[in-house]
Amino acid sequence: MSLLLSWFHLRRRLRCPKIRCCNQRASSVRIEKNYYELLGVSVDSTPQEIKEAYRKLQKKYHPDIAGQQGHEHTLMLNEAYKVLVRDDLRRGYDASIGNTRVRLGRNNGVAGYSSWNGALRPHALFVDENACIGCRECVHYASNTFLFDEAVGCARVKVQYGDDDRKIEVSVESCPVNCIHWVDKEELAVLEFLIRPQAKEGKGVFGQGWERPANVFMAAKSFNRQLKQQADNHRDNVGAAAEEETPAQAEARANASMKIEMEKYSVFWNLVKGIFWNK
Amino acid sequence: MAEQQYTVASDSETTGEEKSSSTYPDIAIGVDIGTSQCSVAVWNGSQVELLKNTRNQKLMLSYVTFKDETPSGGISNQLNHEYEMLSGSTIFNMKRLIGRVDTDPVVHASKKLPFLVQTLNIGVRPFIAALVNNAWRSTTPEEVLAIFLVELRAMAELQLKRPIRNVVLTVPVSFSRFQLTRIERACAMAGLHVLRLMPEPTAVALLYAQQQQQTVHENMGSGSEKNALIFNMGAGYTDVAVTATAGGVSQIKALAGAAVGGEDILQNMMGHLLPDSEGLLLSHGIKDIRRMGMLRVATQDAIHRLSFQTSVKVDVDLGNGTNICRTINWEEFEEVNLKVFEKCESLIRQCLHDAKVDIEDLTDVVLVGGCSSIPKLRTLVKDVCKKQELYQGMNPLEAAVAGAALEGAVASGVSDPFGNLDLLTIQATPLAIGVRADGKEFVPIIPRNTTMPARRELSFTTTHANQTEALILIYEGEGTKVEENHLLGYFKLVGIPPAPQGVPEINICMDIDASHVLRVFAGVMMPGSEHPVAPFMEVRMPTVDDGHGWCAEVLHRAYGSTLDLVTVHKK
Repeated sequence: MSLLLSWFHLRRRLRCPKIRCCNQRASSVRIEKNYYELLGVSVDSTPQEIKEAYRKLQKKYHPDIAGQQGHEHTLMLNEAYKVLVRDDLRRGYDASIGNTRVRLGRNNGVAGYSSWNGALRPHALFVDENACIGCRECVHYASNTFLFDEAVGCARVKVQYGDDDRKIEVSVESCPVNCIHWVDKEELAVLEFLIRPQAKEGKGVFGQGWERPANVFMAAKSFNRQLKQQADNHRDNVGAAAEEETPAQAEARANASMKIEMEKYSVFWNLVKGIFWNK
Repeated sequence: MAEQQYTVASDSETTGEEKSSSTYPDIAIGVDIGTSQCSVAVWNGSQVELLKNTRNQKLMLSYVTFKDETPSGGISNQLNHEYEMLSGSTIFNMKRLIGRVDTDPVVHASKKLPFLVQTLNIGVRPFIAALVNNAWRSTTPEEVLAIFLVELRAMAELQLKRPIRNVVLTVPVSFSRFQLTRIERACAMAGLHVLRLMPEPTAVALLYAQQQQQTVHENMGSGSEKNALIFNMGAGYTDVAVTATAGGVSQIKALAGAAVGGEDILQNMMGHLLPDSEGLLLSHGIKDIRRMGMLRVATQDAIHRLSFQTSVKVDVDLGNGTNICRTINWEEFEEVNLKVFEKCESLIRQCLHDAKVDIEDLTDVVLVGGCSSIPKLRTLVKDVCKKQELYQGMNPLEAAVAGAALEGAVASGVSDPFGNLDLLTIQATPLAIGVRADGKEFVPIIPRNTTMPARRELSFTTTHANQTEALILIYEGEGTKVEENHLLGYFKLVGIPPAPQGVPEINICMDIDASHVLRVFAGVMMPGSEHPVAPFMEVRMPTVDDGHGWCAEVLHRAYGSTLDLVTVHKK
């Protein structure tokens, strides 16, 4: 029976991944992981790393080792591996989850490149690397806040408010091209995401390399607009789809996944019960 | 009753960890029942050990002799002479007969064996019989195998001084699920529970994985990924696997196999030495059986000697004025068996293609099985894989059973302090499984070489307006038409709401777990609702029993295309 229920669960998951990610918040179903999280690898990991992670997890969850309980988990691992190890499938999958990733980054406000020292503040520092001439003045005055990326030849914010306010003020003033900006903390993640050079698709030997938007602030604006549009579409879809699932079904689904979770603890649970009854 | 015990045993499997701490852990033994030879191995706590019978043999001939009231098998029985096995009273080559119908070409080829194989060519189980006191006494391949397994179990229990229940069996890649159920039934008759069925080359792959890991431990090097091609050719079957191995995990990339083996080579050679032997081989008269036995022994001997010398002289007097005296050399041998070798080559190429592994990326090529010492085969495998040398590290006749014993230990939850059991095989499905749809097309739902455990689903719809029932036929195989594949089972999905053609969504989901059990789920959805309109069906496959050869035809005659399905093309 549990197999059948979990099949329902899987069906829904396969068919409309977007519904799933909203419903989990509404009905407190266990948090579904994306394929990268499932395999415990970073989004930019190499196929070799993915293979290694897959094998390591298989050694833990494969039914040969974990018994029949490992069946469901291994199915998911197999699915994740199948997608991530093939270049074409992985690209498609990245496109389908890529947006969520960046949006989450913006909502949290801290998931960009730089980390925060102390409490969040409404404004944050951002170096426009397009304008930076690599003079290292800022690194000299506030070495805990800025770092110099030798590979790119630009300064970058390492830790927001890594030094005291006076030092930061001096370092911002010291910039000969005024490329250190104060931005809203909500903007930061998108700006830091966009300023990172992106691999450019080349044609033969021409046009390969790395690129970033010429005006990062304009790019951020249009990027945000795009995200908003997608979020709207997403909400519409969710609105339509949410109606399709009746409370009874949601409950059944929640029960099914809870049962899967509980199975892990059943040995322990029986033990506890045993002690209780003996007393 | 047997079914009941079966279930209980598989439940207790989950508590394997507790068991392993006891003095006599219930470690599953590895069993390799070959077409001609058989062996048993077990993990003895530090390594794999092959069990020997009372005559100190590790490799025992797979046969059962029906002499008097009690039949005796190759484990305990001592043959007085080679001819005794060929006197008609002994059944062998069970593996080529089990689970096959009498229209199968492999069964027809078996009619040339000394015992009686009768075919009626209607798609039922062939009639087989052994000559006992001048009478043909009937039996079945399952029964013969079960008698053999009872002896095997008794031998293992005596050696290990504990009851044996769980076994890991190696099987050919090309075995259909129906054949596997016959093997399982024979095991159940012998009181054994099949913990895992392993395609033979994947058992070898597991042994290879263990050996690679040990080398890594010794050299303290990094466990880089190694691709290996495993070619296993025995008396009855030829199997190929491509595996990617790293850190003790053997990941099967692709499998390929066919019912081609040493038996075919032997029959080709017999036909070559005595061109009009067909009549002699098929007649089964008392004198003819004896002459046929002499021819078989002489040919077999010649083939064995050809592995070490470039030409052999065959000199045998079959009586009745027939005398064979001629010299056979390599060229002649290779020419006679050209088709066999061509098939081997195509299997290797197909497997490499399916695995998407380039020949240059192969680290090792492993050649095992009873035919592995044939010089032509060695050069052929080396040439196709562009390798100078074949992998040396394993005994070609014991590799499969050793791998099965390793899997038995791993799946029984045994761990080894030295990390020798830090192993895992990630299996792939050897054959595609799908349903009949779009007329007589075979629509695969779980394709070949899908990583196991696997679960896939596909949507279908009705072919007629107001069609309220759908007949679901499950097939397994490699062909694109259902006729080329094996029927596994069928059931009817009822309660489809009347609707125009193509509106109801019939969802079929297939689930294969690690012990290779296939479950099929089917249900109907109507557009606009996420509720299934009727309870789902859950069917464990295969459901067909004997006589499955004509099931599909009868179903077609009874229902025509009234209950057909078509695939839904995703937009």
